Amino acid sequence: MSQTASSSPSPAARKLGRLVHSWREPVLGLLLVLPPIIVLILLVLYPALEALRFSLGFVPADNPAYASGLDLVNSNSGSLEVFKKLFASSFFSSNLALTLRVSFVSVLLLVLVSYPLALFARFGRGKLAGVARVLYLLPMFVPVVIATYALITFFGDNGWLEAILGTVGIPYHSVIRQEAGIVLGHVWVGVPFAVLMLSSGLDGISNESLEAARDQGANAWVVFWRILLPLNVVPLLIVMTFSFIGVFGSYTVPYMLGPSAPQMLGVSMALNFGAFRQPQQAVAMAVVSFVFCAFAGALYVWSTTRGRKS
Amino acid sequence: MKLTWFLEHPALRRAVMLSFILAFGAFLILPLVTLLLWAFADRWFFPNLVPQVWGFRWWGWILENTDITKAARWSFLIAPTVTLLSAVICLPAAYAFARFEFPFKRFLYVALLASNAFPKLGLYIAIAALFFQFRLIGTFWGVVLVQLINTLVTMTWIPAAGFSSVPRELEEAARDLGASPLRVFFTVTLPIAMPGVIVAMILVFLGSLDEAQATLLIGAPNIITMPVQMYTLVGNYPEPVGAIFSILLTVPSLILLVLARKFLVSGYLAAGFK
Repeated sequence: MSQTASSSPSPAARKLGRLVHSWREPVLGLLLVLPPIIVLILLVLYPALEALRFSLGFVPADNPAYASGLDLVNSNSGSLEVFKKLFASSFFSSNLALTLRVSFVSVLLLVLVSYPLALFARFGRGKLAGVARVLYLLPMFVPVVIATYALITFFGDNGWLEAILGTVGIPYHSVIRQEAGIVLGHVWVGVPFAVLMLSSGLDGISNESLEAARDQGANAWVVFWRILLPLNVVPLLIVMTFSFIGVFGSYTVPYMLGPSAPQMLGVSMALNFGAFRQPQQAVAMAVVSFVFCAFAGALYVWSTTRGRKS
Repeated sequence: MKLTWFLEHPALRRAVMLSFILAFGAFLILPLVTLLLWAFADRWFFPNLVPQVWGFRWWGWILENTDITKAARWSFLIAPTVTLLSAVICLPAAYAFARFEFPFKRFLYVALLASNAFPKLGLYIAIAALFFQFRLIGTFWGVVLVQLINTLVTMTWIPAAGFSSVPRELEEAARDLGASPLRVFFTVTLPIAMPGVIVAMILVFLGSLDEAQATLLIGAPNIITMPVQMYTLVGNYPEPVGAIFSILLTVPSLILLVLARKFLVSGYLAAGFK
């Protein structure tokens, strides 16, 4: 787009035109990418920073949502008082422990379910593979609230599963309103993203390299560990990072499927912000979850930049 | 040579894979089937496998309930607004990322990811506090703005992958024939990049229809969309109400799924992350 308007077919003239207008491209490029960056700064970075400041005791007088909270810690030089109180509370530590446990188990299960599906979607042939390729996309088109409600009617107390198992005399104990219920919900909801990511990574692995390994006498297990997994490590890390962050900051799934105590941090945050009128505690929890997810994010950035260099 | 040799014995492999897919399919589909049964149940007591009395009693009730029709109206006002606004903001950026060289390009591209890297509820709370200050709580534009955050990566990265897949030679050939840059963009570049743009728009539209957490926090009490309405329906009404409402809420998604199937399987969904 950085060429002169005159139609100059010769490559040399075109190159000259590019040189003359070389300043236009960077300026135009920066201008065009500005709008989403501004949205990002105004709607993500600025509020996050304000939240951080508020959690450190800087109470903004002009913000009624923060300034009207109960049990405010006020400080002009910043203090860790809010975090000290938070970590001293047994409610918070059991909520945090639950959140971490659910996040790790959900991510683990998600990968265990999604990897075989991705392999099958990439390498499978025939009708069954076709079915699998459509099947794993299904949850993407079911709103999360609906999904959780469907899971309640199926897996819940006096649900369809209990009725079905009852006909053959198998006792069933409901997983809904338990920790397991939250994990179940996140696996159901998270499958499309995980499989899409993993299978798109597998698409990049050539059939030739697999056949070569095969000719050398490598069995399926060796091929998986030595070729597929190492070549597909970045998508795997993306799936793990983003699923972790998604589960960690979730609200709908734990609200609908989880126990009332202990709670996932997302549910607890919403309650503290709204019903309990303790915005500072809510915001401090948000900061704690930012920190945990920053570790996960750093892992992703590190892995992708490393992959780019090599 | 066949590539379905992950387990060494074909029969065993097929059996393992079949049972895995069946179990997975049951896990995904049976909860939805349960909802479907509930939607057409006038009476269904445990432990009957199917409703004792079938019927449409609750359908009429739902369709006449003004809360629900109002929620549907909000949903279908907000989703297109978010999609269009996001397209206006992000598509030029997507083109720039794909075609131009400028300082900090790589950094800005990855920086957009920050919108996805925050745990959602924490971020929404921080935004809610900010919106209180600017009186955006309970307003249409407040909800649109908060939903915009989740669209940035989708609406930039996926179309960017689409734009960069357009061969430069094609554009240059069109220029050589005397077409203006704008004309080249609209007759050559955009049509080829269109699948990526369409996938992004569909994902953003669905994401907006589906969004409940931020909308609840920012929109309440004035702006209640369908998924937010669902929170109250689930606890306070008999199962068929939630089930019918679920079906109504899933229909637009399913229609889009069918329409967009061709584009969705073409690998655009994961394109941006590579």
